[in-house]
Amino acid sequence: MKPAIEQVAVPEPDDKARIARERSSLYGFLASVFRAEPTAALLGEIRKAAFGGALKAVGVDLVDSLSGRSDEDLVEELAVEYARLFIGPGPHTTPYAAVYLGGDGASLWGPETVWVKRFIEDAGFDYTPDFQGLPDHIAVELEFMQEMTSREARALEEATVAKAQAIVKTEAVFLTRHMARWVPKFCAKITSQARLPFYSEMAALTVDFILSEAEELASTPS
Amino acid sequence: MTSRRNFLKLGAVAATATAAITGTGALTWAKENRIKGGRDYSPTTGKARKAIPSACWQCVSRCPIIGFIEEGRLVKVEGQPNSIRTDGKVCAKAHAGPNQVYDPDRILYPMRRVGKRGEGKWKRVSWDDALTEVAGRLKKLRDDGQPEKFMFHYGRMKASSSKLVGMFLANYGTGTIGNHTSICEGAKWTGQELTWGKHYDNWDFDHTKYVLNLGSNLLEAHTNHTSEAQRLVKALADRRIKMVTFDVRLSNTAAKSTEWVPVKPGTDIAVLLAMSNVVMNEGLYQGEGEAFLSFCRATPNVNASTADKVAALKAHLASYTPEWAEKISGVAADKIRTIAREFATTKPAVLVTYRGLVAHYYGPEGERAAQMLAAITGNIDNPGGRCKAVGAKWKFPSGPKDKPTAKKLKIVDGFKGQAKLPTHHINHQIFNVIKDGSLGRPDVYMWYCYAPVYSNGDCKANAAVMKDETLIPYSVCINPFYDESAALADIILPDATYLERWDWEDMVSPNQVPEHYIRQPLVKPLGEARNFGDVVCDLAERMGFPLGIKNMEDFVEKSCEMTPGVKEAGGFEYMKTHGVWHDPKAKPSYYGYAKPVKAADLAKDGVILDEATSTYWNWKKAKVKTVEDAKAKGYAHTKDAYKTYIGQKIGDKVYKGFKPDKVNKTGYFELYSTVMEDNGFAPMPTYKAIPEHVAMKPDDMILTTFKVNVQTHSRTQNCKWLTEIYHDNPAWINPASAEARNIKEGDRIRVASGIGHIETTARVTPAVAPGVIAIAMHCGHWEYGRYASGKKSPFVKEDIVHDKQMWWKSHGEHPNWIIPNDPDPISGQQRWMDTVVNVSKSVSA
Repeated sequence: MKPAIEQVAVPEPDDKARIARERSSLYGFLASVFRAEPTAALLGEIRKAAFGGALKAVGVDLVDSLSGRSDEDLVEELAVEYARLFIGPGPHTTPYAAVYLGGDGASLWGPETVWVKRFIEDAGFDYTPDFQGLPDHIAVELEFMQEMTSREARALEEATVAKAQAIVKTEAVFLTRHMARWVPKFCAKITSQARLPFYSEMAALTVDFILSEAEELASTPS
Repeated sequence: MTSRRNFLKLGAVAATATAAITGTGALTWAKENRIKGGRDYSPTTGKARKAIPSACWQCVSRCPIIGFIEEGRLVKVEGQPNSIRTDGKVCAKAHAGPNQVYDPDRILYPMRRVGKRGEGKWKRVSWDDALTEVAGRLKKLRDDGQPEKFMFHYGRMKASSSKLVGMFLANYGTGTIGNHTSICEGAKWTGQELTWGKHYDNWDFDHTKYVLNLGSNLLEAHTNHTSEAQRLVKALADRRIKMVTFDVRLSNTAAKSTEWVPVKPGTDIAVLLAMSNVVMNEGLYQGEGEAFLSFCRATPNVNASTADKVAALKAHLASYTPEWAEKISGVAADKIRTIAREFATTKPAVLVTYRGLVAHYYGPEGERAAQMLAAITGNIDNPGGRCKAVGAKWKFPSGPKDKPTAKKLKIVDGFKGQAKLPTHHINHQIFNVIKDGSLGRPDVYMWYCYAPVYSNGDCKANAAVMKDETLIPYSVCINPFYDESAALADIILPDATYLERWDWEDMVSPNQVPEHYIRQPLVKPLGEARNFGDVVCDLAERMGFPLGIKNMEDFVEKSCEMTPGVKEAGGFEYMKTHGVWHDPKAKPSYYGYAKPVKAADLAKDGVILDEATSTYWNWKKAKVKTVEDAKAKGYAHTKDAYKTYIGQKIGDKVYKGFKPDKVNKTGYFELYSTVMEDNGFAPMPTYKAIPEHVAMKPDDMILTTFKVNVQTHSRTQNCKWLTEIYHDNPAWINPASAEARNIKEGDRIRVASGIGHIETTARVTPAVAPGVIAIAMHCGHWEYGRYASGKKSPFVKEDIVHDKQMWWKSHGEHPNWIIPNDPDPISGQQRWMDTVVNVSKSVSA
C-alpha cells in the first residue's frame, strides 16, 4: 500500500508571490507607523473607506477617534503621544529590542543589538549613512521584514525558487528567534501606557500580525 | 485572533497607499545573499578577514569560492554565495584547499635529478637554468623540424589554462598532445557524440519529477558535483520525487535513492534496452516521445515517417525483452517493467548515467541505449530532462597570427584497430605505444596536472616505461607536489597551486544559464612556485616566438575586457571584486534543436544540401576542391565535414538540430548511426557480452572501483583534512561471496588478476552485489607526501605540528596495480569495471 501523503492546499507560485507582496505592504505600513510621528497623508489614507474597512477586519477601529477633527489638530496630538510613548521624557515604552531581550545584559546597544545588526547586514543590507538611530528600533526591524518579503515576492515572480526558499528561512529565523520574543512585550507596554486609541490599536495589530507571521513561518517546511 | 486572510487584505489595501505613507527607511540593499557567506571573522581577534573571490580546482567541477586571508595566510575557503551554479555551496574537498597551499611536502623550487632516474636524488636549480634547459631541448627539436617529438600530456587543463597553454603548443608546432579522458568517461562522451553531437549532458533536477540513475554516484562524485548534488537532494527532500539507482554497489547515492537495484557489472545496458522494449511495446512512447521522434533518426532513410521509425525501433528492440534482460543482469523482469512504466509515464523524468554504465567493453553502447530511452520518452533537452550542457562562452586573445602547421606523432589513439572511434583518445595506452615504438616516440615528455603512473591501470608497466631513458629520453614534470610520476622526472617545475593563480572559468551550469567566473590568487605562490600559464609565455619568448601575452593574469584581464556581458559589467575589475557574473536577463536554454536555421545562413557561399542525409553543410569550409567532388563524396564521408554543419532538413523546414561534434553524424538525434555502421558496428544500440565475463570460472569475481565524497582520484590525498577522514579502502565483498571463500570481516585478502595481485582487507557487507569485489580508487599512494603515503617527499619541510597531527598509519591499497590498461573497442575507454579477479584469504595472514 502506498503511504498516505497528506493533501495540503499548496498555494500556486503566483499566489505565493502575491501573498508575499501583501505581507510586505503591511510590514511597510507598520514600519511607517512606528518610524516617526504620523503625517496628515498617513491619516488621510487610514480614513479612506477601503483602508478603514480593512483595518476594521483585523480589529482596528479608528473611525471615531480620527473623525470630527482637523488634520492639523490630530497630527499635533499624535505627535505629542508619539513622543510621550517612545521618546520621553519620563517613563515610556522604549522601542529598542535589546532592552526587552538579553536578561541581565539587556541594555541600549546591548548584545541583542549586535545580533540584529549583524543579522540584517548578513542578509545583504547596509544601514544608510544618514540613519541616525539604533540598529534594533522596531521600525527598522519592520522595514527589514518589509524588504525581505518584497525580495521573496520578486524571487517567486522570477521563479528562482531556491532563492525564495532561502529568503523565507531568513525571515523565519528573524521572526521566531527574535521579533516574536520582544514585540509582544513592547506592544503590551504601549497598550498600558497609551492615552489615545491610535497607538494601542496599532500595537494590537502589530502583535497579532507578528505572532501570526511567526506561526506561519515556523510551519513552513524548510 | 485575526485570520491571516484579513491581514493579507489589509496588506493589499496598504499597498495602494504605500506612496503616501512611506517615510525614509534605514536600510539599503548592499549585496545578494550575504547571509550565505562572503564574510568571515578571526575567532581570536574578532577582526574581519580579507575575502577574495576565486575558484576551486580540487576537481573538474571548479566551483566558485571565496578565500579568507588573515595576516597573509589563507585560513579558510567557502562557497561563493553569488554563484548561480553552486548557490554558495562547496564540498569538503574545496574546504580543504588550504591544505594544498601549505602541504609540508610541497615542491617549492625547480629541481633537477642528479642520480639515476627515479633514484630520488635532486638538486635545486634556478628558474632561469631550468627554463634555459627545457627551452634548449624544445627549441632544438623545433629547429630540426621535429616539433612533434615534444609530447605534452595533461590531466586537468580547462578554460583559460587550456587556451593559453594550447596557444603555446600551437605556436611551437606540436600536435602530440595527450589527455586523460579515456581513463575517465570517454565512452560516455563518444556515446553522446554519436547521438546528439556534443559530449556533455546536464541533468535538470530543478524541474524533474523522476530520476533513473544507472551507474552514477553523483551525490559523492561527479564532474559537476556540488552543483548537481544539491539540486538532486532538494528534488528528493523538498519535492519528494522518486529516484531509482542501478548500481553493483550501495553507494551513498544509491542509499539516498528511493530504491537501489543491484545489477551485475556491465549489464546495465541490457536493463536499458529492455526498458525501451517495454516503452515501445506498451505504446508508452506516445505523446512527448512520439513527438520527439520527428527529430530522431531511427532508420537508414533519414526522411522516414514517424510510423516507420516506431516500426524500426520495435523491430530492433523486439528480442530485448525484460525476461532476456533478467537472465543477463539479474534484475527481475517485473522490476524492469515497473520502472520502465514509471519512467515513461512520469513527465518530465531524467536519465542519469556515468562510469558504472560506460567504463566497460562496448561502453558507448550503454550510453546510446540510455539516450534511446530518454528520447523515446521525450526527455531530451527539455525542462526536467537530460539537457545539452550550457557553459560560459569567453572571448580571449588568439595569439600570433602566423602559426606553424602542427605536426604530431600518432601515438595518443592507441594501436591501430584498438578502437574505431577514439574521439577522446586512448591515453592509457601511451606507455605501451611508446614501448612498442612503431608509431614513434617523443624525445621530450612533459606532463601537467597529471599523475600518469598512478592514475592509469597497470601502474607497474607505466612506471617501467617512464623510468626507461631509452624509451623517454627527457621528461619534464609540472606539479606542485612530489607524486609517483614526479619521482620519475628529469626536471620538476614547481607549479602554483590553484589557490595561487589566475584563470577564467566556464564550467557547465546546472540551471541552463551560463555563468562566467574567474580564479585569482588568494595568496602569492609559495617559494618559487609559478603558474604554468606564466611559464609557457616565458618559454615561448625564450624560443623566439613570443605569444604577445605577458602571463596568465594578462590573458585573463584581456579576456574579461573582450567578453560580451563581462565587459559591460565592468570587465576585469568587476570580476576581481565579484568573482562571478551571469546575465540576469538570460533565460534557461532548452529545445535548442528545434530552432529554425535562418534562410541567410543557408544562402551562404559553399552551403549545400547533402541529399543522402538531408544535412546542410559547407563544402568550401570543408576544404573540398569542387562542389562536384563534395556532392560525389557526400557529407558523411568527407573528412571533418561535421565542422561545417549548418542545419538539418526535416520535412520542408531546416532546423539547427543536434549539431555534430567529432563525427560526421546528421543533425538528427541519431538512434540509428551510420557512423557506427561505417565502422563495422551495429547502427542501433546493441548488447554485447563482455568476453572476460563470459569466460569466467565459477569462483572468479568481478572487480569494480568507486569514489568517495571527500577525495578525488589522485590529487587530494595530500590534504590532511580529507585524508584524516578517508585514508583506508578495504575491499567490499558480499557475505555470500565471503563465506564461499572463508573470508571474515577484517581478514587480509589477496585479490589477483591476470597482471598481478594486491593484498588488502575485507569489508564483508551486503551493500555490494554477490560476485563483485569493490575497491575505492583513492588510496595506496606510494609517494605524494606523508599524508597520502606515509612517506615524506625529498623536499620535506620538517614540521612538528604535522607529524603530531597525523595519527593514522594505514594508507590503503591502490587497485590499479591489478587492472590492465584495456580499451573498449569503440571509444578506447579504459575498462575499469571489467577486470576478472580471484579473491582468497591471504596466505601470509
